[in-house]
This record gives sequence, C-alpha cells and structure tokens, in this order.
Amino acid sequence: MNIAPELIHIAVALAAIAAFIGLNGLVLVWLERKVAGHIQRRPGPYEVGPWGLLQPVADAVKLVGKQLVRPKVADPWLYWSAPLLSFTPVFLLFLTIPFGPRLIGMEFNLGLLLILAFSGLNVLALCLAGWSSANKYSLLGAARAVAQSIAYEIPLLLAVLAIAFQFGTLNLSTIVHHQGPMPWQWNVMTQPLAFIIYFICAVAETNRAPFDLPEAESELTAGFHTEYSGMAFGLFFLAEYAYIIVISCVATVLFLGGWHGPGAPGFWWFLLKVYALIMVIIWLRWTYPRVRFDQLLNINWKWLLPLALVNLLLTLIFVKM
Amino acid sequence: MEYLAYVAFGIYVLIILTGGLMAVLCRSMVRALVGLILTLFGVAGCYLLMAAPFIALMQILIYVGAVSILILFAIMLTRAPAGAEEAPYIFPWRSIAALAVAFLPLAVIGGMIRSGQVTPLVPPTEVPLAELGQTLIEPYLLAFELISVILTVAMAGAVILGFERRIGK
Repeated sequence: MNIAPELIHIAVALAAIAAFIGLNGLVLVWLERKVAGHIQRRPGPYEVGPWGLLQPVADAVKLVGKQLVRPKVADPWLYWSAPLLSFTPVFLLFLTIPFGPRLIGMEFNLGLLLILAFSGLNVLALCLAGWSSANKYSLLGAARAVAQSIAYEIPLLLAVLAIAFQFGTLNLSTIVHHQGPMPWQWNVMTQPLAFIIYFICAVAETNRAPFDLPEAESELTAGFHTEYSGMAFGLFFLAEYAYIIVISCVATVLFLGGWHGPGAPGFWWFLLKVYALIMVIIWLRWTYPRVRFDQLLNINWKWLLPLALVNLLLTLIFVKM
Repeated sequence: MEYLAYVAFGIYVLIILTGGLMAVLCRSMVRALVGLILTLFGVAGCYLLMAAPFIALMQILIYVGAVSILILFAIMLTRAPAGAEEAPYIFPWRSIAALAVAFLPLAVIGGMIRSGQVTPLVPPTEVPLAELGQTLIEPYLLAFELISVILTVAMAGAVILGFERRIGK
C-alpha cells in the first residue's frame, strides 16, 4: 500500500504546526509578561532562569499538575468538550498559510475561506464553556462573547473581501505573489483602510484587551472560563495565543507582503512581520483601558461596518476601472 | 483511492445520523443544538465529497459559525442555565408516528430507485469560483435577487415585531 505524498506532506505540516503553536505559546507568555512589566515600569518575571526565560515552563508545569475540577451541576459532556473544541481547529488554520516561498502545509484555492470558517468555531466553544459551567459569570461572559464576535465578524469579512476582490482569488499564496519585496508594493499601501479595519476587528475577535469583555476580570471574575482549572483552562489560553498568531499571519499575508522583503525573501521576513504585529497587539493591551459594552458595539456598527462597506465599494470601482 | 471515498461517505453519514438523533432525542436544549451542529458538519463533509469545497466551507462559516451560535444565544437568553432542561417524556404514539414519517422519504426514494434505471454518476469535478459566480448573476439572477428580498423582508419583520412588543409594554 502506497501513501500519497500529499498526505505525508500534510501529516508533517500538522506535526510542525503543533510544535510551532506549543513553542509560540511559551514564547508569547514570557513576552507578554515581560512587555507588560516594562510598560508598567517593573522588571517582569526575572527569578526563574536568566531574564525569567524559564518562567513559562514553570507556569506550564503548574497548569499540567493541577487537578481538573468540574462543578457538580455542570453538563459533563459539554463542559469537557468546550476546551477541546476551542483548541483543535487551530491546526487547520495554520495549514494553508504560506510561511515561505515553499514552506506551506497545503496549497488550497480557498485557503482564506478555510481560515475564516474554522476560526468561527472558537465562539461556539466559548459559548458552550460559558453555558455548561452553570455559573452566572460564565454565562454573562459567553453572552458577551457572542454579541461581540458576531458583530465584529462582519466588518472583518468585508475588509478581507476587499483584498479578495482586488486579486480575484482566495488563495493565500497567490495573494502573496501579487505583492513585491519593497514596503510600498505591499497591499497595506493600496488598502490602508481595510488593514486598519481588519486589525481592529481581529483584535476584538480574539477577545484581547481593550476588547476583552468576555473575560473582564474586574466584572466577571474570569468570564467564560471561570470554572476551568488546570489544562482545561490551559487549552483555552493556548488557543487564544494561537488565534493571535493566526490573525497576525493572515494580516501579514494579506497586507504586509507575506514572505516578501527587501533583500532575501523567506520565512524570516514572515516571522519578523508576524512578531511585529504581535508586539503591537500586546502593546495595545497594556496601553488602553477596556471599552464599555455600548462603546464596543457603537464602534462596530456605526464606524467599522459603514467604513468597510465604503472601502469595498471603492475597491470595486478601482478594480473595474 | 475509490474505497477512501466510500469510507469518508460512511463516516459523514454516521456523523449526520448521530447528530440528527442527538438533536431529536436529547432532553437538554443545548445538547440538541450540539447535535444539530454535528449534523451540519456532516453535511459540509458530504459537500466536500461532491467536490464542492466552497459550499462546504460556506456551510461551516454560515451555519456553524453564525446561525447555530445565534440559536445558542437565544437559548441562553430564554432559559435558566445548565442543569437538565425539563421536557416531559412522551412515549409511544408520537415517537412511532415520528419514526414512520422519518422512513417515508426512504420508501419514496427507494421505490423510485427500484422502478427506474439508475446510472452511476460521473465523478464530480470542482467548479471554479468565477464560474459559480457567473451562473449566479446570469441565468439565476432573478432567483438570487428574490432571496435577498426575502431576507430583507424577514429582517424588517423581525425589527417591527421587536418594536411592537416594546410599545405594548
């Protein structure tokens, strides 16, 4: 029995993605705590290892060692399936992202759509987690997560659609190939409005501050994951970081020229841009206070959505001219 | 490779049936909804098997990612959280009638297959996205626009209903 080489390629890609997510989880935990520390004029973690580099390992060991507890009245099936449902789609999301000229898990014509479709599952996971915990804070967190992510998904899709219209494709590699090595040849120069809308919506979709209402700790304890302990919480946490990487990767591919760059093109440019975006997201979190819920919805429905529609219309006019 | 398609079809049908049974038999509304979502996933898999990945992904994006989440939202707003949802257990007659109705399409389709000549279909090929769009706005333009009108009417209706209730209070 011979196995198709494509299948082997995908299997290897999935293993590499798993390693990438795990490693990035560790790096981002350290980076986030360190950046937060310096922004707040304190050193951040520095006890465990040089510059606190081993701190995320200690955190991970602590999480793995903790007991998994389920509230007595919680629905057991839904309660335990929610963190798994939040984490597993992440593997699919990375599969069609072109990290380098040849470094891609699977060439797929509808790669962009695949990412958008499967990232929607996270909301479902948050909802199930919030509902099945049988806790009013969890339920409120879940209700907020739904209202927020359904609302912000619309301008996000419209912003992405503008890029798809411009090049007439949903294939991420093709979109990268249409851009050049120099920064002024990137899509962010022709679609600046779409980039800003995409970035704001993406930060809101991942429930990061200043849009972290589903887990606002000062109001809702911890929101939808109040009742989760140990690795069940760890999976939600890892999924959140993975989604941050995914949205940064998609932003890099769509707007910042992907693996193109001055000098030698390659995955190093890609990673550099992704990490720059992640740093901006972390920076935003520790700079701005949380928005109020009415502000959150007003920004979306009164500003982002009309702007995204106007942007789409302008794109259409320019493409057809 | 053909047997792989049969295996995949078997798995998808199993997913659809399990989801369907969950949706019908579960006492808890949220579990029933999870069953529905499972079914929608299985249907998306069947689209994949028919070489229509665009439709499959749209199914997941719209039905799983938006519609079912709105249903979940509605359940969360109307019902007390968790614990078992109380639904009285109805036995015999209704269940039997429901089963009979479920087997009706099987009988109809089975009869058609037995009476007529069934030729195996050619393996489906993927339709390019541009062609799909072209068919939507050329031969099927009227139907396409009518769907938007229906959606607009439904949305306007929902808004009017919401406002009327508020005035009534």
